[in-house]
Amino acid sequence: MAEVVIPIGPQHPALKEPVNFRIIADGEKIVRLELDLSYNHRGIEKAAEQRNFIRVLPLLERVCGICSHSHATNFAKGVEEIMALEIPPRARYIRTIIAELERMHSHLLWLGVAAHEIGFNTLFMWTWRDREAVQDTLEEMSGNRVHYGMNEIGGVRRDLTPAQIQAALSRLPVLEERVRQYRQMVESEETLLMRFRGVGRLSKEEVLKYGAVGPTARASGVDYDVRKDDPYLAYAEVPFNVVTDTSGDVYGRTRVRVGELGESLKIVRYCLEHIPEGPIRADAPHTAPEGETLSRYEAPRGELAHFIRTNGTDKAERIDIRTPTLANWTSVAVCLVNQNLADIPVIVAAIDPCLSCTSRLTVVNRNDGTAGVITFDELRRRRDRQWDRQELR
Amino acid sequence: MTTISTITERLQGFGTAEQVRSNRVRLKTTPDRVRDAITVSQVMLGCDRLVTISALDHGTTFELLYHLIGPHRIIISLSVSLQRDHPSSPTVSDLLPPAGIYERQIHDLFGIMFPGNPDLKKIILNEDWPADEYPLRKDWKPRPESFYGGIKTERL
Amino acid sequence: MAGAALPLGRRLAGWARLKSPWITVYNSGACNACDIEIIACLMPRFDIERFGILVKGSPRHADIMIVTGNVTLKQASRLRRVWEQMPEPKYVIALGACGAAGGVFHGLYHVADDVNRVIPVDVYVAGCPPRPDEIIDAVVRCLGLMKEDAAHGGKEWRQEKPVPAPETGPAAGRRAA
Repeated sequence: MAEVVIPIGPQHPALKEPVNFRIIADGEKIVRLELDLSYNHRGIEKAAEQRNFIRVLPLLERVCGICSHSHATNFAKGVEEIMALEIPPRARYIRTIIAELERMHSHLLWLGVAAHEIGFNTLFMWTWRDREAVQDTLEEMSGNRVHYGMNEIGGVRRDLTPAQIQAALSRLPVLEERVRQYRQMVESEETLLMRFRGVGRLSKEEVLKYGAVGPTARASGVDYDVRKDDPYLAYAEVPFNVVTDTSGDVYGRTRVRVGELGESLKIVRYCLEHIPEGPIRADAPHTAPEGETLSRYEAPRGELAHFIRTNGTDKAERIDIRTPTLANWTSVAVCLVNQNLADIPVIVAAIDPCLSCTSRLTVVNRNDGTAGVITFDELRRRRDRQWDRQELR
Repeated sequence: MTTISTITERLQGFGTAEQVRSNRVRLKTTPDRVRDAITVSQVMLGCDRLVTISALDHGTTFELLYHLIGPHRIIISLSVSLQRDHPSSPTVSDLLPPAGIYERQIHDLFGIMFPGNPDLKKIILNEDWPADEYPLRKDWKPRPESFYGGIKTERL
Repeated sequence: MAGAALPLGRRLAGWARLKSPWITVYNSGACNACDIEIIACLMPRFDIERFGILVKGSPRHADIMIVTGNVTLKQASRLRRVWEQMPEPKYVIALGACGAAGGVFHGLYHVADDVNRVIPVDVYVAGCPPRPDEIIDAVVRCLGLMKEDAAHGGKEWRQEKPVPAPETGPAAGRRAA
């Protein structure tokens, strides 16, 4: 198909998601960051206490549209652990395949969004076009492009037919080639991605102290990855590597995510080729015995932790959800101190926030107490002007 | 080398500790000893990362759980039981910086106080939310005459 | 009132709006699935920009506002303010199950379920999330509505006047008896 280049404007307003922060600033430098998460709060934890396990799964899927399978699988595997229920191997492999496909779609999405943040809109278009191949595979397997609904307590709801496995395998070579090109692009010296160098640096000690998780932590050399630390689903049987980097800045996080794309492709290929035969679900009881568990999962953004307590009925007594983005916010606040205002969109985008960037920030000037509202787009324009001035010099 | 049995033994000094899973130890302790237990976990048992702080409502008491993990991949869950009226537990945000956000969230939703936390403002509920209503408590029901901010919601 | 009786400037503006509507997107507390499907509309596979549809950031330049999410209590007054900034004639598309009646979050304590309670909605799109093709279809239907409304001289033939702006803050009201 011929490549059509479309002229697009400098802003993609659909990237606004509602989280508010107040920045206390001293001129152009950031002094402190204050956070307000209530824009997206819907009261899911309370609802999950009043719905039985079957109804909680679709609710938890919709905590976040990008990592929906993570929440549902994490909850299902936690409840299965409390019930001491062993799910069949084929179900584990299917869950793993969907989980890795989700990681791929999330990282490709992120790569496009990060490229957009620095004005590299062509890469934005390319990664989202490649992402469509992943979405097609997910749609064939599960029936929906987003919110797959594959899980149930005791296994998965849908089986993979041989035709679906073949179709998925046939899409992998193109994706592998594209990911190889992206990796080359990230490594080469002349790309715009070099603008990420030195921005938002976190040292290894800071990562450990402030509790960052996921690619943000792995880019500073900390190799926390729940898939290796506490293997679940099929990860104990599938060979793969944990990708780390030592630079600790946004560029390092980009390299980690592109590396993980390659690893996910390997895992998907292995699982599709070695999927065991057998049933896809085990008979699960309706009620769970009394118990509790801390269920952890490596979502695309980092470690997702669900604390589940059950009380012998068919509803959970308490589900406490700690998303990886919440764990990363403290480190963002640290990263941003003494950086320029104009770097905010890039640094916030680098942790791949799931509650995401705000469309407007309140900036309080510490010296005279004046406050003004500034939008992300104005910050981007400021930064573009700064870069232009630097290049002209 | 820290193994799960050495951790369990070492924590017995702070309360009752038991191993609940192949890699998780659960310690039941009290609010006045929890800070020392955390310091010991960080310094001597290698558990220096906080996974999360969970809060539960048992009807007559609240329970707070601090989950810590370290490079040896063993999780320590410290459980603290609090009484129902004026529940409070000393803050741990100076020992574990990520705890600040989790404590704010728990304060918003359960009403548990964390004396010593420098920044216990609203983080997850609307700023117009009435001050003494804590939605995640088991006995909370929205009051029809109250105004929860934003717009009137008749069905409440 | 027939369209031919309108002055030339108005007719030109109406034609331009139909040929190239500008859209703004507002996320009122969604899980982001609808938002990424909207962005997928802009990408080379579905590509609404070849139709002349531009997604602009500011509500002041937009003809159509797409609202995702079921409105959380925090967002309700802000959504209303953003809607009021749009110049007439303005249209609202509420996306997904959340926009219609709250979706899976119906009845929870921090959401106001229906976007229509805050601002008047013209088009609802079913789905959780709706596919990009369905979103494009909704925009096209909205354009059809625009044309009909222009022929009728406004929206009054199919919609009552918008609800008054909601009060904010606990001091602003206890429920009227």
